[in-house]
Amino acid sequence: MNMYFISLGLLLFGALISLTVKEEWKLKICSFFSAISTVLLLITSFNIIKSGKIAAKSFYLSSLFGDVNIVADSLSAFFIIVISLMSFLGVIYAAGYMKPYILKGRKISGHCFFLMMLIISMLMVVTVQNSLLFLVVWEIMSLSSFFLVIFEGDKKEVLSAGIKYMVYMHISVLLLICAFALLNIKTGSLNFSDFVYAVSQNKHFANVIFVLFFAGFGIKAGFAPFHTWLPEAHPAAPSHVSAIMSGVMIKTGIYGILRVLTILGMPTKFIAYTVLITALLSAMYGVLYAISQHDIKRLLAYHSIENIGIIGIGIGAGLLGVVYSNPMLAVLGFSGGIFHILNHSLFKELLFLSAGSVYTKTHTRDVELLGGLIKKMPYTAVLFIIASVAICGLPPFNGFISEFLIYGAIIIGLPAPNIFVFLMLIVSLAALALVGTMAVLCFTKASGVMFLGNPRSQAAKDVKEDVPPVMTVPMTILAILICLIGIFPQYFIKLITAHVSAILQGSMVEQIMNSVVNLTGSISLLCLIFIVIFITVFIFVSLMKKKPKEYSVWACGYDKPNNRMQYSASSYADLFISTLRVFFKRISHIKKPSEIFPKEAYYEMETEDIEEAYILKPLLKIDERFLAMFEKIQNGNMRHYILFGLIFLILSIIGLIYIG
Amino acid sequence: MITFINILILLVIPFIMIGIIKKTKAFWAGRKGASIFQPVYDFIRLMNKETICGETTSFIFKLAPLISFAAILFASLFVPLADGKSIIEMPFAFIIFAYTMALGKFFSLISALDTGSSFEGMGASREACFSTIVEPAFFIVLGSLTVLTHINSFGSLKYIMLNSGIYGYLIIALIAVTLFIMLLVEGCRVPVDDPATHLELTMIHEVMILDNSGVDLGLITWGSAIKMFLIESLIAAMIIPANISIIYSVPAFLAVIFILSVIIGTVESSMARFRMTHVFEFIFIMSVTALIVLTLVTYSIYGN
Repeated sequence: MNMYFISLGLLLFGALISLTVKEEWKLKICSFFSAISTVLLLITSFNIIKSGKIAAKSFYLSSLFGDVNIVADSLSAFFIIVISLMSFLGVIYAAGYMKPYILKGRKISGHCFFLMMLIISMLMVVTVQNSLLFLVVWEIMSLSSFFLVIFEGDKKEVLSAGIKYMVYMHISVLLLICAFALLNIKTGSLNFSDFVYAVSQNKHFANVIFVLFFAGFGIKAGFAPFHTWLPEAHPAAPSHVSAIMSGVMIKTGIYGILRVLTILGMPTKFIAYTVLITALLSAMYGVLYAISQHDIKRLLAYHSIENIGIIGIGIGAGLLGVVYSNPMLAVLGFSGGIFHILNHSLFKELLFLSAGSVYTKTHTRDVELLGGLIKKMPYTAVLFIIASVAICGLPPFNGFISEFLIYGAIIIGLPAPNIFVFLMLIVSLAALALVGTMAVLCFTKASGVMFLGNPRSQAAKDVKEDVPPVMTVPMTILAILICLIGIFPQYFIKLITAHVSAILQGSMVEQIMNSVVNLTGSISLLCLIFIVIFITVFIFVSLMKKKPKEYSVWACGYDKPNNRMQYSASSYADLFISTLRVFFKRISHIKKPSEIFPKEAYYEMETEDIEEAYILKPLLKIDERFLAMFEKIQNGNMRHYILFGLIFLILSIIGLIYIG
Repeated sequence: MITFINILILLVIPFIMIGIIKKTKAFWAGRKGASIFQPVYDFIRLMNKETICGETTSFIFKLAPLISFAAILFASLFVPLADGKSIIEMPFAFIIFAYTMALGKFFSLISALDTGSSFEGMGASREACFSTIVEPAFFIVLGSLTVLTHINSFGSLKYIMLNSGIYGYLIIALIAVTLFIMLLVEGCRVPVDDPATHLELTMIHEVMILDNSGVDLGLITWGSAIKMFLIESLIAAMIIPANISIIYSVPAFLAVIFILSVIIGTVESSMARFRMTHVFEFIFIMSVTALIVLTLVTYSIYGN
């Protein structure tokens, strides 16, 4: 536990030192301290997971906070591994990514400081077990990420995205405050461990508490329908920040949900169904909208919603298993869901970082303007394609393992005790399959249009070389981890077995957990078989194949096809989107060719989030109209303001007398 | 021994299956038609030809056919073949099957986009789009069977009759329809797609491989033949009774494959390709039959 505090101290020290040095040195200092603390944190977490002991420290902070417990159990340790590793790689990448900004004379002290603060606060969120301190670090996390998002705040859309993010986060924190306040009233304590008894007594109270927490943490995690901040904030932020936010920070929402589930003890049916249905909705909604996006980072943000949904499906299936006492379903569901947290953070971070590399070279996020980058940026392209295959959940990469476990859970649970559970699970099965194929559609579009084919604009044509090693190395590490987890999952699944056994606490759980590990072992064997088959085919073909000749691509007999004639991202997705047009609000901007010699003509299509267009905007309009009624109060007349103050005072005194 | 027979069947029969389909089409058209071994000769010819790549293509284009082919071979390890058992028995095998198939599809889609052609993306778009309808139906069917037979792999196909009583024949018929449509979609046969067409605008699978040639094209045709063969084997696994000895099961299996190929040939000769918008409606039949299977299974288990 001491190592944990030392590393937090190191990170804070690094943040402070970085304020004092020259601009070019700031991120290097940050990377250095982040590296040391990551090593320390990894050692600590592995020890905790291996020994199964809970490391805890309790101290008296002040009369307000009371006793503060800092606890690192197997769940915290797992999250510490994810957070420290991903943020460390993000910080290294940042050193390369921010270089052009520094050369332009942009000051980055604030950025570095808040980056380190974000890492520290995330690390604290997963260990603090005192509700008040938890809210404080939660708020530090939200605020520091807000400052990171608005790095390019001189652009209007960045600022408005940042403010939107801020508003969402404060709705989230409000819900959390309500939940903690209710628990505090019930138990008179601020410590998580004291809540357990109070909640387990009353089923309805547990449901209310859970809904509050689920909504609060769900906003952070990006569950639909609380997701609309994600597709705004991620494109606005610098790429390493979006990578850390999407790869790690939104997972703290999932951490919160998992932590609350341990507090609640035995989950109710209501809780299980709420989680599962929300998760299904998120998964479908996320991928559906991802297909229609042209901004690569928006696309990835929608995919985060999808993947959070998949994690939720795993957890929801696990909860159903607990409720209907099917331990196999519970173990597989939780293992799949929690393992997907690690997997998603790996490939999502890699995707955001490689999208960032493309952005540094081409200065555009619009996939319609890219193309052919695989020849200029081969590393980035290959890494992006690996991550794309992984995020679609295809073997032999890591995404497959966790999705396979979730599928396994659902199939094991299918012979269900009653018809509702059965239908719920079969819907989840079909939904997962649908989400998987839609992800394939989406990522073939993204990787195909961005990296393959011909350049679609001058910006893409002008790219000379790949990004420097300082950016490719962290990406390569991520890709190696993705492959390793995909091929040898049986070693990595041990990171979560301790926690899954801890939450389920049954006599059979150990045994089932072992069979899950064996199952992943056999997948590993299968992956090796696949690789052997591939190598055999490869050798066979290279023996048969003569050196290929190059000719121009077949264009139906047309002699001079140009790059604009390629199939574009919109046209690739159009068949699908126009088939499902009821789910989209599509806005098109057309300028038709006119006159005898038409000069300018264009056709543009954008897709608006249906929730934003039909629910949030009308609601905001009503809200605006309602608030306009109070405009009269703000009339600039000082005497009126004093009167208001007086009325308020009198009312509060009356109120106090009445209560007291 | 039986594994060896299975592997032999897996590698050779797909060609002959395509040959039979072509022979059937020739028969209905009143022609004599080529020998049923013609696809084998075609394959050998392609293997000896030189490869030509588009100028815009990258190494993805050269690698993709290999990955797709390896994926299909790998997927075939999980499908019950001549003796009613798959080469590798594994729980949740149909997930691995579907996902490795999807891996192959992923690479064939991006290799189509790699050419930077104005046509190949169109085929890729269609292929990707249609598989979004096919997969959920496939999963619903196999999920329902898991509940019915308590076997969570393709083995469940063999025991439908034992567990479902009077509904058995109906369920088998519906699943056969579902898988047959899947076969037409994945194998790119009429009425979904016409493998013999010469108009790029109407093709699906063929337009994706316009620029492939030589060894690559050989692998792709072999791969897609194996893919069709695998789905036919799934239908065969359902029809051939479980627990009969190998001496009967191998000929029975080959007979089912033969009959199915004749049926495909007959369908191809008797119908025209659907318009692209109607293809969707056609594939949705698969979802409907899958849902009917689900309803029947639900009723037979929870109905009383």
